[in-house]
Amino acid sequence: MEMLLMGVALSMFGLAVSCLAFGAATREEPATELATEKEAVKAAVANARFFAAAPALPVAARNRVPIEALLLQIENHVRLEQAAATCFLESPSATLLHSRTISTLVN
Amino acid sequence: MVDADLLKGLPPAEAERVLALGKRILLTAGAELFHLGDAADSLYLVARGRIRLTLPMQVRNREEDILVEELSSGQTAGWSALIPPHRFTLTAMAPLETETIALPREALNAYFAAHPDTGYAVSLNVASVIGQRLQLFQAMWLREIQRMVELRGA
Repeated sequence: MEMLLMGVALSMFGLAVSCLAFGAATREEPATELATEKEAVKAAVANARFFAAAPALPVAARNRVPIEALLLQIENHVRLEQAAATCFLESPSATLLHSRTISTLVN
Repeated sequence: MVDADLLKGLPPAEAERVLALGKRILLTAGAELFHLGDAADSLYLVARGRIRLTLPMQVRNREEDILVEELSSGQTAGWSALIPPHRFTLTAMAPLETETIALPREALNAYFAAHPDTGYAVSLNVASVIGQRLQLFQAMWLREIQRMVELRGA
């Protein structure tokens, strides 16, 4: 009888421990903590995109642009840069030196 | 042509005498005037048309001539003819029918030795052409460096 009671008691204890462990594992985190974490992830992703400027295209995708179009882009870029540099030389200032370009080669 | 950038400041008659040292060269569309690395024996004035100055660049494992500068009527190409080691540092070609006046270095040097005032004026004009190009490419180079710095997020 004693053995039986001890077995039942141990089983109940084991069941209680299992329930506590299950409850801890499946408990929902507080809404504020979750929101903060999501914001942090979002900000990190946004920053990564900003610094990368433009996602790198796979080589195969880049090669799909006809080489003639690429060469035209390069030539257009050179002409735009010369025009920007000429403007700077006519009226030298840091603003004109670092004016933004509309060149499709770098945008 | 007496108002070409190389002849600025010279009296028209003197400019004509310098031009008379040269030889007119007619280039058909696509013809090359000089090639990178060639011996530079003559200076060229663009009389009509256009001259494209290019440098080679590897684009998708192919060597392509990339435009560096385009010259039009009155501008000077090939000042390497006057500056040692007298080798062209660019390739020049005509994108359309173009006429240039080739001024041989030896003829220019001999004329300038006999007419130092003219030599001085032309030398100042050559220095001006070189200086403008240096300033232009200095600014272009800095703009590229600026972009590299921005891309790296430094």
